[in-house]
Parts: sequence; structure tokens; C-alpha cells
Amino acid sequence: MGNTMTVAPAQGDGSALLCVKGLRMGYGPVEVLKGMDIEMKPGERVVLIGPSGSGKSTLLRVMMGLEQIQHGQITFGGDPYITADKGKTKIDIGVRKKIGMVFQHYTLFPHLSVLGNLILAPCKVAGESRSSASERARALLERLGLSHRVDAYPAQLSGGQKQRVAIARALMLDPKLMLFDEVTSALDPELVAEVEQVILQLAAQNMPMMIVTHDMWFAKNIASRVIFAAEGRIIEDGPPEQVLGNPREERTREFLERVFHIKT
Amino acid sequence: MMSYDFSVVLRFSDALTLGLVMTLKLTVLSILIGSVIGFAVALARTSSNGVLRFICATYVEFFRGTPVLVQLFWIFFCLPLILGVELSNLVSGVIALSLYMGAVSSETFRAALRTVGPEQHDAAIALGLPSHVEVTYVVLPQALLRAAPPLLSNSVSLFKESALVSAVGLADLMFVGQNISNTTGRPVEVLTIVALIYFVIAFPITRVVTVFERRMLRKLKA
Ligand SMILES: Nc1ncnc2c1ncn2[C@@H]1O[C@H](COP(=O)(O)OP(=O)(O)OP(=O)(O)O)[C@@H](O)[C@H]1O
Ligand SMILES: [Mg+2]
Repeated sequence: MGNTMTVAPAQGDGSALLCVKGLRMGYGPVEVLKGMDIEMKPGERVVLIGPSGSGKSTLLRVMMGLEQIQHGQITFGGDPYITADKGKTKIDIGVRKKIGMVFQHYTLFPHLSVLGNLILAPCKVAGESRSSASERARALLERLGLSHRVDAYPAQLSGGQKQRVAIARALMLDPKLMLFDEVTSALDPELVAEVEQVILQLAAQNMPMMIVTHDMWFAKNIASRVIFAAEGRIIEDGPPEQVLGNPREERTREFLERVFHIKT
Repeated sequence: MMSYDFSVVLRFSDALTLGLVMTLKLTVLSILIGSVIGFAVALARTSSNGVLRFICATYVEFFRGTPVLVQLFWIFFCLPLILGVELSNLVSGVIALSLYMGAVSSETFRAALRTVGPEQHDAAIALGLPSHVEVTYVVLPQALLRAAPPLLSNSVSLFKESALVSAVGLADLMFVGQNISNTTGRPVEVLTIVALIYFVIAFPITRVVTVFERRMLRKLKA
């Protein structure tokens, strides 16, 4: 796997899957992302780590088109889809739809059954027929070990089941890149594995992904590349053996020791 | 000691039925129209247009802050003068009670809309739902489910408040009851029966609300 070893300025060449260029973003006057450049190649699985408040969630939300940006551009498959333009953020929804996201807090629609959650977007947006979407949904739920919960409502599910349904709901739209923001952080410890297992399955099928996690075991097992960010900047970017095992930057080393008690 | 003869009431059962039908017609129409007004006003109060928000807020506070009886009198006697048109008693009654129901239910809808959290909006965007799909299939059903129990309570209150229209001469259950009690001179029998009719209709609905509410909250607590 071709990992970028240094914080190379992202080039918008055709081989990149995702390309973040000169991204600056703030909530009001407080700048949260202070100039970020990331180039992701097809098949890469990027794990994003960093202290609380460093802007990891914000970066993912920006990539999903959920936040306004002040400067920069993001391209996907060579197509610009998020562009800062004179204080406005232009979003190309057609391109953005190729990206799926799962959030830390369950965001299932509580008034719809598991099946209803899965088929809403395919039926109402993609115009797929109800029967065809239901058939795909059942097959997907079967693969995720959730066949018995097809007709359950979110309130009847465990946290782990909810997150797996949320993943399935995103997969229904056939995404070309998945974003996971601390999807196991709100779970009881015994439920973490079932969700991580599903993401590992996706990884085995070469799904490109960007993952924010505080779970060291998971990070090491899933990452093809690790980015350490702090205070809205990328501090270190490289293969997991480097960033998690033998970091070059003092700040990365200090973070790993403080948060994960890893002596490097 | 006076003896009570409830069979007196039976002789007027036709008149009472007509009164009840009028009460139900008035209440159901006002509930339907008032709920639509209430939902529209609740949405308008989340608008970015300050003037619109101010107008809606003034309307709601005015109708919540004045006696329903005064509103009724105003619409029965002042509105026709201002508009220069004759309004039938039923129309005036429906206008008055709908405006009152609109003000009260807009608060119910407003609270329900607030419970649909920002994470639902994030999820809708992440799934590529355009805003009309988001409103129709995500926000509206959740708001309606949440609003249903208090809305039913609002409706029961309106049903009971509707007895006030008898004061402006609309021939509803209360008005008919009062007339019968005056002509027969048997207020105890007649008014007791009238009270029972109101109770028999209102009470089951309030029970349903309680059960419904408990189920609903359990389901939506995701
Ligand atoms: N909606 C918001 N309005 C204002 N400031 C915000 C908002 N969301 C996040 N921030 C601020 O932006 C900064 C980055 O937040 P972000 O959630 O991206 O950090 P994070 O790296 O995901 O942290 P954590 O590990 O705690 O999830 C923080 O200082 C936070 O307070
Ligand atoms: Mg976060």
C-alpha cells in the first residue's frame, strides 16, 4: 500500500481518491482547522488521532458537507465538491453523495423501523423501488448479523446494534468512502467489538475509510495510515508502524504516552 | 324535600342531540383548522424573517393572554362590524375557537419540533436527503408523534371551552341545556345530564392520551 510518509502538500492529480487542500474552518472567530492538506489514495484506511478539541470531528463534518469553511477546497475522485468561495461554501451534492458517514451518537430515525431507516434514502432520493431496496436491506442486515432485528425500532436495539444499523444505512447508498467518527465511544465496553468487527469486514473488502478512534487496538488493526492532528493542524502523517510505533514528532510521542500510556 | 325526575330530560332528547351535534361540529372543525394554523405558526416562528416571527409571537401571546369569552364576544360582535359582512353564528364560533386553538397548539408543535435534535439533521444530510424529504419523512412524523398526546389534551380542553359559545347565542349543547332547564324549571336534572354528556365524551379521550403518551415516549426514546 502506498503510504504518504510526509505531510506532502496535496496535489489534485487524478490518482487521489480524496484531496483536501488549504482547508481552514472556524466557528465564528475561533479558527478550528488552521490549514489542512490531506491526499488519500484509493483503498487507504486513514486513522485520525489527536487530543480532544483538535478538530477531528470538525474535519469529518466538513468532508461530509455539514459545516461551512472559510478557505480551501476538497476534491473527490478528481471532482471538486466543497469549495470556499468568497465567504460561502459551495457543495456539489452529487459528488458528496459518494461519501457515507457514521456518527458517535446514534442518529437513527427513531420513528422508523430498522428496515425503514435503511430504505428511506434509496427510495426517496435514489428513486429505487420499495421492494428492491427492502431486498438489498435484508441481505445487508443478514451479513451484519441483524436479520432478526429488521422490524425492530431503534429504541429496542442495543447500542452496538444501533451502530451496526447506522453503518448498514450508510452502506445502502453504495458509498465510495466511509467516515467513522468515534463510532464506539458511546458504547458499553462489551459492545465495542461487534461494531469494530463490521468495520474490519468492510476493510477486508477494500472500502476506503477515514476513522477517528481512541481505541489503540482497533487503530493498529485497521489503519493503513495514521494522521496525528493537534490544534487544527496535521502534526504527523505516516504508516501506523511509524506514527503509533516510532513517531518522529515529539508531540505525537507525548500524546501517545499521555493518552494511551504507550512508551515509544 | 324536592323529588328529582330525570325522565323530564328524555322528552328533550332530540333537542339535546341537536345541541350535541352542534358542539361536536364546532369543536371538530376548530380543532382541525386550529391545528393547521398551529403547525404553520410553529414553523413560521423558526423562520429567519424577524417580522414574521414577531407577528406570530404577538398572535400567540394575545390569544393565550386574553379570556376566551372576550375573544368570542369580539369575533361575534366586533369582527362583522369591521369586515362589514354578516357571519353566521357557526362561522363566527369556528373562527374564534380556531384562532384560540391555533395559538395554544402552536406552542405544542413548537415544543415538539424542538425535540427533533440537530443530529437528525446531520443524519439526513449524510444520507443526501434533500430538505423537502427531510421535513416530510424525518422532522414532520417525529414532531407529530410527539405533539399527538398534548394535542389531544388541547382538543379536550377546546371541547369543554366550546360551551362558552352558548353565551353568544350559538345553539350548542350548553345553550340547549340552559333553555330546557329554564322552560321546565328543572335545572338539576337537565344540567346534570348535560355535564354527564360532556364528561362521557371527554374522559375516555384523556385516558387514551395517557396511555398513548407512555407508549409514544418509550418508542421515540432512541
Ligand atoms: N458547533 C460548534 N460551535 C462552536 N465551536 C465548536 C462547535 N463544534 C466544535 N467546536 C469547537 O471546535 C474545536 C474542535 O472540535 P472537534 O469536535 O472537531 O474536536 P475533536 O478533535 O473531535 O475532539 P474530541 O476528541 O473531543 O471529539 C473545539 O475547540 C470545539 O470546542
Ligand atoms: Mg470528536
